[in-house]
Amino acid sequence: MKKQKIEDIFSSIENFSSVPPPELWSKIEEELDKPKKKKKVILWWSAAACLLLGLLLPSVLHLNSDSGIETINNVSIEKSVVLDENKKDLNNTEKASIEKNNIEKKSDIVENSSLEDIKNQSNNSQNRNTYRTTITHTDSNNKINSGISNENSKIGTKNMNEAVAEKTYTAGKQNSFNSFSNNQIPAEKRNENQALAEKTFAAGKQNSFNSFSNNQIPAEKRNENQAVAEKTFAAGKQNSFNSFSNNQIPAEKRNENQGLAEKTFDAGKQNSFNSFSNNQIPAEKRNENQGLAEKTFSAGKQNSVNSFSDNQLPNSIFEDKLTSKNTVAVTMSTSNLVSDNKPNIKKEGSDQTVSNKTIVAENVQKNNSITAHSLNKQDSLQLVELQNLEKGIVEIKTEKDKEIKPDANSEKWSLEVFAGIANSENYNNQKTLGNVNESKQTNSYGVKTNYKLNKKWAVSSGLKINELGQSIANVSYYNNHNLSSSPVMSDYFSPNSFASGATPKITNNSSYVFVSKNTSNALKSDNLESGNMEQSLKYIEMPLEVSYALFSKNKTNISLNTGGFVGKLISNNVTLNGNSIGDNSNASDFVYGSLLSSTFQYRLYKKTHVFVEPGMNYYINPLTNQTFNQFQWSFNFGLNVSF
Amino acid sequence: MKDDLDIYIKQCIQNDRAGQLKIYQLFSPVLYGICLKYMKNEDDAKDVFQEAFVIVFQKIHQYKFEGSFEGWLKRIFINKLIETLNKKKKESFFLDVFDPDTDFIEEEELEIIPIAQEKLLEYIRDLPDQYRMVFNLYVFEKMKHREIADQLKISEGTSKSNLNRAKRILQKRILSIKNFKTA
Repeated sequence: MKKQKIEDIFSSIENFSSVPPPELWSKIEEELDKPKKKKKVILWWSAAACLLLGLLLPSVLHLNSDSGIETINNVSIEKSVVLDENKKDLNNTEKASIEKNNIEKKSDIVENSSLEDIKNQSNNSQNRNTYRTTITHTDSNNKINSGISNENSKIGTKNMNEAVAEKTYTAGKQNSFNSFSNNQIPAEKRNENQALAEKTFAAGKQNSFNSFSNNQIPAEKRNENQAVAEKTFAAGKQNSFNSFSNNQIPAEKRNENQGLAEKTFDAGKQNSFNSFSNNQIPAEKRNENQGLAEKTFSAGKQNSVNSFSDNQLPNSIFEDKLTSKNTVAVTMSTSNLVSDNKPNIKKEGSDQTVSNKTIVAENVQKNNSITAHSLNKQDSLQLVELQNLEKGIVEIKTEKDKEIKPDANSEKWSLEVFAGIANSENYNNQKTLGNVNESKQTNSYGVKTNYKLNKKWAVSSGLKINELGQSIANVSYYNNHNLSSSPVMSDYFSPNSFASGATPKITNNSSYVFVSKNTSNALKSDNLESGNMEQSLKYIEMPLEVSYALFSKNKTNISLNTGGFVGKLISNNVTLNGNSIGDNSNASDFVYGSLLSSTFQYRLYKKTHVFVEPGMNYYINPLTNQTFNQFQWSFNFGLNVSF
Repeated sequence: MKDDLDIYIKQCIQNDRAGQLKIYQLFSPVLYGICLKYMKNEDDAKDVFQEAFVIVFQKIHQYKFEGSFEGWLKRIFINKLIETLNKKKKESFFLDVFDPDTDFIEEEELEIIPIAQEKLLEYIRDLPDQYRMVFNLYVFEKMKHREIADQLKISEGTSKSNLNRAKRILQKRILSIKNFKTA
């Protein structure tokens, strides 16, 4: 009997399929209908905010509590002022943002002149209506209608109806821009009906741009009906651009009906560009019907550029032009020109179709139907390249995706600049001269580079200016002048007496002799003074950190950092009652320590991140002969650019 | 067909429910079959199937219209199945110690006997989770042991060992049918 391996036996179910139970689709639908979760980011941010508050509150409280101590401490006062100012700034920022929101809400209200019907039954010689919208952001329907109905204007010289939209942006479903004119004017020289749209963008389903004119004018010199759209972009399903004119003019010199579209882009399904003219003019010199499309790009299924005229003209020069210029290689456009000319046209009936730089595709357009009014079909041009266009759209989208999605592999390095506050603390309840070492708030700033080892791990190093400090309240001391006036005291408290190690030597300045609390109590000398002492040590530090990414999703990263640092002393200062009295003695030139921090990072733009970094540092022996605040809380914030 | 599929995908990108339903109707049998092969019971298979399909519709905009869409779908489903198994593995201790004495026994060939698809599916589903996963990935997805090891976060040796053990269990099941039939 033939034999086979296990894999071969089971290969029969390689393409095993089974129809899932019908209820699964409804469950999937339910899941899809659920509003997107407000992500855990908010939770993390609120946690970070709580942590920040937790870190800042003790510092603020501590600063406030300092006011109880008699102190002439200019530095701390300055800093508290800075803090207050920061608070004010924060408040102002909040207010500003609230105001901004209000403004934004206000701007959401449609600047819309809505529907205005003007019935003009007077003998105005000039009637001009202009509707202009500037930048309008709205989710609702946006309609701009300019409608004029003129009846029986007997001696009208000029009637202009203009509707202008500039830089109009509509995210809603419907954006209609209509200019409508219904005129019954027996003797008028000029009738202009214009609708202009410039840089119109509609993301909704329908974008219609209509210029409609219905004229019954027996003796008119000029009738112009223009619809012009420039840089019109419609991503929705339908974009129609119509210039329609229905004229019954027995004796007219000129009738122009123009529809112009320039740089029109349509990604939707249907883009129709129509210039339609229905004229019944017995004696007219010139009738122009033009449909121009320049740089028209349409990615949808149907794109029609139509110039249509139905003329009953006994004596007229009739020109029907259709021009389509496509400079974009991948273009699908269909141009139809249908003209219905009755036989008694006197001079000329010319049709022109110009197509430049176009690629004629093999594909045939699916839906294009013009049934009636077809006596004289002279030109029909179909340019379809559906597949290329679809690819074109995909390429555009994928390029966008690439832009949005930062390539994780290419962004190994990052550079960050940061600044922050630090608070030096002493948790061992250590004392100097019998007084408690109190915390001191300082500033820090620096730059850091980060190198990603893999998805989770990274190492970083850089340079940082940081200050470690402490303040001691009610320190007892003698100054040199008092000592010299009292020989006994001078012998006992000469600077050399510190060599025995009974009292630590704080500063190199021999003018001040510090006395420990117990000694000062025993002496109770009149010459003994007390004051507040501040010691600070400023370092340039080079940290070496290892980071582990705890959380990384969408735009947010949270990582935990630990490592060590080495610092070089760059500034060493002791102040007594706010006046500098020299250097700390026996300050180590180099200091070492360890650090632990957590970084909350948020991507602002492509490769730029903002971050906050609460952390703590531990310094090993900043001073060799004196206890010092060795523990430091820090809170840094900054910018991070990856490359 | 390809054009229609692209249209459906584009509809899905626009969150169009009709397009989503079309995609579901087209691919759900194959994908549900995969879930049944990888999961021990039908309830688990349903859960993974549902979750994976939601992911598909949420991430369909990432599909670049390059290569097979079905392959792209399968990849998402397999990843989801692996993720589910890895989660399960954390919850329960699983013995995957490589034993060179027992794991590299020469595989013997079996005589061909007709076995119903449902039966074969049942045998696979009866395998321990990791054996089943390794077997499926190796036999049906044609993945190499290195890839399987990476995906399941196990060593390459463990992957080989799991495959051999899975094969031996299946072999026994098939032989028992054969013996039952001959008896």
